[in-house]
Amino acid sequence: MVTFLNVVIAGLLLGGLYALIAMGLSLQYGVARVLNISHGEFIMLGGLTTWTLYTAFDINPLVSLVIVGPTTFILGFIIHRTLFKRLLSSSTSPGIFESSSMLASFGLLFMIQNIASIAWGPEIRGYSYLAVPVHLAGAVFSANRLVTLGFATVIGLAFYLFVARTRLGKAIRAAAQDPATAGLMGVNINNVLALCFGFGAAMAGIAGMLISMCYPVHVVMGLEYTIIAIIVVVLGGLGSIPGSFIGGFVLGIIGSVVTYIDPGLSLVAYYLIFILLLLVRPTGIMGK
Amino acid sequence: MLEVNNIDTFYGKAQALWDVSLRVDEAEIVALIGANGAGKTTLLNTVCGLLPPASGSVEFLGQRIDGLAPHSIVELGISHIPEGRRLFPHMSVSENLEMGAYVHEAWKRKEETLRQVYEMFPILQERQGQLARTLSGGEQQMVAMGRGLMSRPRLCMFDEPSYGLAPLLVAEIFRIIQGLRDHGITILLVEQSVRQSLEIADRAYVLENGRIVLEGDGKSLLKEELIKKAYLGL
Ligand SMILES: Nc1ncnc2c1ncn2[C@@H]1O[C@H](COP(=O)(O)OP(=O)(O)OP(=O)(O)O)[C@@H](O)[C@H]1O
Ligand SMILES: [Mg+2]
Repeated sequence: MVTFLNVVIAGLLLGGLYALIAMGLSLQYGVARVLNISHGEFIMLGGLTTWTLYTAFDINPLVSLVIVGPTTFILGFIIHRTLFKRLLSSSTSPGIFESSSMLASFGLLFMIQNIASIAWGPEIRGYSYLAVPVHLAGAVFSANRLVTLGFATVIGLAFYLFVARTRLGKAIRAAAQDPATAGLMGVNINNVLALCFGFGAAMAGIAGMLISMCYPVHVVMGLEYTIIAIIVVVLGGLGSIPGSFIGGFVLGIIGSVVTYIDPGLSLVAYYLIFILLLLVRPTGIMGK
Repeated sequence: MLEVNNIDTFYGKAQALWDVSLRVDEAEIVALIGANGAGKTTLLNTVCGLLPPASGSVEFLGQRIDGLAPHSIVELGISHIPEGRRLFPHMSVSENLEMGAYVHEAWKRKEETLRQVYEMFPILQERQGQLARTLSGGEQQMVAMGRGLMSRPRLCMFDEPSYGLAPLLVAEIFRIIQGLRDHGITILLVEQSVRQSLEIADRAYVLENGRIVLEGDGKSLLKEELIKKAYLGL
């Protein structure tokens, strides 16, 4: 019983990160229609920037949120404004845009990775912050992982309320459902898409900051997280932000259970779920 | 109020409108009729900014609007109620209506406008929490019209508002459109129900293969031989 609870808590701790990463991708893919293969690179940038700020400038990792968040947001916004907006206006159909934007994001992945490896080199980086043990339900977790879960949950819920309640949030949902008609309502589509891309990048950056508090970070860490994000987005239902949030926790718990059985199997299990899902229920658990 | 001057519009390399001119004056109902594929939707989409014209100009209240994005054109006071309703399927009735009030000026007064829309379509108030995709066709059309009014427009362009509706509801829609004009809203109406539109229209244009072939006041077009043969089945 105690071990079961431990496994579930470990799953929630992992799931919070997955939820955050997947919500970011969900905005970029579900609204802006960019299956952003370079999503994980923003996680890597967030992680390594936090590491540098902490080890070289002694800036508290949680404080670097206010640096990493806005920086990755602006980076994402500019990338959409320059690259994807242009691709969108030159694409004759949504299908063509989806494939060309995915290829372009592959290009971004290599560009960002190369620039990062010049800046940070190939070494695995890590630091110790809030690594104090906390006793929970008879098991021991380190405090930084609990902080991670707290941040991911607060950001997830705040963003959900933003999208559900505010004028801009409603414009984001309308743009996801029918961009041309949203334009007829007065929504500046190019702005909303760039904002969504920026928000997505910021969520990745913040996730990277949180990851760096618990795990080692390095230049080629991104792709694995991108794949996890894609799996969660499909699991939660394409375009559904609550779906991505819940899907993140579901995959986190599955991952934790599999890791308990055999740590080497978690990625294999994720792929298996992904393939089964595509075969059995491609619309996801909260799919429309 | 609205002036379309000699526009040509293309889909890629295929031309859909040739040298089309049209005028709508303040507080008029102007009908635009024509067979399937004549270019009626294309013309409205050119006016609202979805399809920029290759040549010619569009003026609204004396200002050039061709080349502006749709979101800027709706801000100037043109509301386009598109063909096929185009509701946001996963949003509720009230959220769809709210989206209609997205432009800043209208957003400030959205509670007031919403009350007026619910007075006009009481059924929508009962359905306000329901997702748009679960509504009947008639209810969807009412949401589309209500949403179009939420921006408090000066000019409303309707693209086949009665399409697929039962005769009783069609009559209701025409009655509502007349009521809007009585409240000072100018109407540009594209319709398949040619007789009913000509009866309420002050003036009308006939579009054939992307060209305007006839124009005149509504009543006299009803007596026109070409109209009788081609559109009224007489
Ligand atoms: N997206 C498009 N791409 C290419 N051609 C198009 C497109 N939409 C319309 N057309 C063509 O432009 C012409 C005019 O179409 P339009 O939709 O404006 O006609 P319409 O008068 O609104 O017809 P309907 O009464 O069926 O709605 C048609 O020949 C049509 O095939
Ligand atoms: Mg049409």
